[in-house]
Amino acid sequence: MAEDHDPHKIQAIHRDLHSHLPPEPALRVKALESLLVEKGLLDPRTVDAWIAVFTEEIGPKRGATVVAKAWTDPAFKERLLTDGTTAITELGFEGWAGGHLKVVENTPSVHNLVVCTLCSCYPHSVLGIPPNWYKTAAYRARAVRDPRGVLAEFGEAVPAEVEVRVWDSTSELRYMVLPERPAGTEGWDQAALAGLVTRNAMIGTDRDLTPRTREPI
Amino acid sequence: MDGIHDLGGKQGFGPIDVGEKDEPFHAAWEARLLGIVRAMTRVAPWSIDWFRYVRELIDPVDYLTRPYYDQWLQTYAAMMVNSGVATVDELASGKSAAAIPDLAPPTPPSAVAAAIRNTTRFDRELLAPPRFAVGDAVRARPHTSAGHTRLPQYARGCRGTVTAFHGAHVLPDVSALGEERAEPLYTVAFAAAELWPEATAPRDRVHLDLWESYLESA
Repeated sequence: MAEDHDPHKIQAIHRDLHSHLPPEPALRVKALESLLVEKGLLDPRTVDAWIAVFTEEIGPKRGATVVAKAWTDPAFKERLLTDGTTAITELGFEGWAGGHLKVVENTPSVHNLVVCTLCSCYPHSVLGIPPNWYKTAAYRARAVRDPRGVLAEFGEAVPAEVEVRVWDSTSELRYMVLPERPAGTEGWDQAALAGLVTRNAMIGTDRDLTPRTREPI
Repeated sequence: MDGIHDLGGKQGFGPIDVGEKDEPFHAAWEARLLGIVRAMTRVAPWSIDWFRYVRELIDPVDYLTRPYYDQWLQTYAAMMVNSGVATVDELASGKSAAAIPDLAPPTPPSAVAAAIRNTTRFDRELLAPPRFAVGDAVRARPHTSAGHTRLPQYARGCRGTVTAFHGAHVLPDVSALGEERAEPLYTVAFAAAELWPEATAPRDRVHLDLWESYLESA
C-alpha cells in the first residue's frame, strides 16, 4: 500500500476521527476490535493472550529479579552495567523495548531518575506496563526541571551532596535504575532481596529500600 | 516539531499522583487496546518514529486531556486511515466495508509465547568515524527538523558534555518520514544550571541521547 507521511493530512485525519468516532474510549476500542476482526487482521484470543502476559508474566517482578541478582552476583552486576540487554537475556527477559537496555547505578553519592519527556519510553520487558503517572504531562514536564521536588512528592528527600542524574529517554536506549542494596540485608537470599525492590526504585522515584519501610511488590 | 508533546520543563503542572493504585491497567478497555496493538497484523510499514510523529500530530487540546491509551487508539486509527487499511466510517461503526486482498491469517494466540521475546534493535553499521568523543564539549543545535525530532526544546542551544557513544542508530527525524538512515548517537550530560535559570543544585545533571546532527562543537 502506498504510504505517505504528510503531517497536514494526518492532522486532517485526526480531526475527522475526533468528530466521528464513538464518544467513549471503551466504545472506540470496541469498534476498533470489531473492525480488525472482521477485516481478518486480528484474532481476539491473541488479544486475550497479550493481556494475560502483561497482567501475569511481564512486570516489575522481573526487574526486581535482575536487581537482586546484581546485588548478590558481582560478575552479573558488571555485565548488567556494561550491556543490559545481554545480561537480561541470560534471565530470559529480553523483549519489547529491551533491545538497548542501559542500567544506571545508584550509589551513596548518586541518585538516578528516568523519564521520557517526549512520549513514554519505558523498558517494558523488565518492568512491564508503566504506571499512569509516568506517562502524565506533570511527570514528563517536571522530572527534568524539578527532580528533587518530584522525589520529595514520592517521599524521598535526596541530600544536597548527592548528585541527581536525570535520564531523558530520547533515543531507543531504555533506562533502568539499579537501586542501592539496603543495609541490614546481609545474608539474605535473592528471592528475599527481590521482595524489597519496588517498581518505583527501578524508575528512580524510590531511593531507600530499607526493609520494613516499603511494601513488597 | 515544536508540538505540545515536547513537555520537558514546561511549568504549571501540579503534583504527581503518587498514590495511584499499583496495577498494569486501570480499565478493561486500556488492557484491550494494548492487546489489540500487540496482536494486530500490520499491513503497512509503520515505524516507531512514524507512530510517535502521528501521536504528536493529535490536536494539542486532545493530547493533554485524552487518556493515554485513547491517544494510542487515535494514533493507530489515523495511521490505518492514512495507509488505506480502514476508513473513518469503518472505524466509527466497527463494520468493514471492504475486504483487504491476499491477507495471511491473523496471529494466533499460540504465537504470543515466542513473540514476547522479540527484540528490535536500532543500531546499524557505522559508516564514517564519529565526529565527537566522550569528554567533548558540545552544544545542542537551536533547531533540527521541522517535523519529528528527538531533540527536546529545553536542551536546544544548551552546552553539555558527551558522556557515552553508542555507535550509529536509526535517525528518528527521517525514519518518521519512511526513510532509514543511521547516525552516530551520543549521551550528552547537561548541568541543571545550564538548562534552568532557577536551578541551584550544582552537581545535578540531565542526560539526553542525541544524534550527531543535533550537535555542534562548543
